[in-house]
Amino acid sequence: MLTISLFNILFTVINLLILLFFVKKFLFDKIDAIIQKRQQEVDEATEAADKAMMEAKAAQKEYEKKIELADEEKEQILADIKKLGYEEYDKIVMDARKTGDRIIKEAKASARAEAEKEREIHADELKDMVIDAAAKIAATKHSSEDDSMLYDKFINEARANNG
Amino acid sequence: MKEMLNELLMADKTLIHIPFGNGFFDIYKSVVVSWIVLAVLITLILVLTSNLKVHNISKRQAAVEAAVLWIRRVVGELLGEEAMGYCPYIVTVLIFIAFSNMIGLFGLVPPTMDLNVTLALSLMSIVLVEAAGIIKKGPKKWLKSFTEPMAVITFMNVLELFIRPLSLCMRLFGNILGATVIMELIKHVVPIILPAALSIYFDIFDGCIQAYVFCFLTSLYIKEAVE
Repeated sequence: MLTISLFNILFTVINLLILLFFVKKFLFDKIDAIIQKRQQEVDEATEAADKAMMEAKAAQKEYEKKIELADEEKEQILADIKKLGYEEYDKIVMDARKTGDRIIKEAKASARAEAEKEREIHADELKDMVIDAAAKIAATKHSSEDDSMLYDKFINEARANNG
Repeated sequence: MKEMLNELLMADKTLIHIPFGNGFFDIYKSVVVSWIVLAVLITLILVLTSNLKVHNISKRQAAVEAAVLWIRRVVGELLGEEAMGYCPYIVTVLIFIAFSNMIGLFGLVPPTMDLNVTLALSLMSIVLVEAAGIIKKGPKKWLKSFTEPMAVITFMNVLELFIRPLSLCMRLFGNILGATVIMELIKHVVPIILPAALSIYFDIFDGCIQAYVFCFLTSLYIKEAVE
């Protein structure tokens, strides 16, 4: 038990080196490779997730901006339409007023012409009556009585005609 | 009792006799048993690490991964960050000594009960410690480190070169021998039940403790050497 043999010491050293080789190559390195691979995959997945998240945020921002723009556009269109409507309204009112004025004017003119015509007809009738009366007077012998009767008749006739 | 000790200590260790070299090339029992230990360990490693996958790992793989990470963390704490590269050696020694000590459970004589094996282990350890120092500091600084912290204790420092492996070797050898002797004595006194219970203590607990102590001290020396 106590004897020392260099040969056996050497053997033990070789044994240990063989075991060391197996522990390092087949236990540690193998497990390390697997763990590292897994870590790498986890890192990649995390990176991809971060990227996707960032992209989603950017897209969201873009859409918000677009919606804001659309709102502005809508306001603009509404304002334009209102303006256009007011203009049209003003124009229509103005036209109506003009037409009304014109109609009134025409009506006044035609009324005046009608009155003129009426007056002319009366004048003609009066003239005819005067001529008629004159002719009657001239044709008959007449006394002053007859004359005043005629005058009265004439005046009554004229009054009745003028109504 | 003396007869028993004689029988234990002076027994012929030769298992394979080589017919030349006047016994120099004889292969001892301890070496053959450590071959068995080696075969078991290597088979275990190969079986446990076969068919490793990145995803959908088996329970076996999860256990192996956890065990490797755990043992590396424990040894890493002993070694410190700078000497992390020596971790595989320490782990190798740890599992070799632990399994060697426990092989007594299967009725074989633990290889660590042979002075040659513990001597080999401690020689390797001290070579590694000094090599670590030389690699880290360079030969000049390494030589100079013997005179630190003061020149007076240079002799002590040089002496430590021999004391350290000797203490490592003798501690392991003595503990395992002592345990075996006590177990033999108890078997003489109470042949049943008690030896089985005590065997758990001496073979498993003490075996692991001694393996841990050996590795703890070796990593302490390495840590000291690379600082």
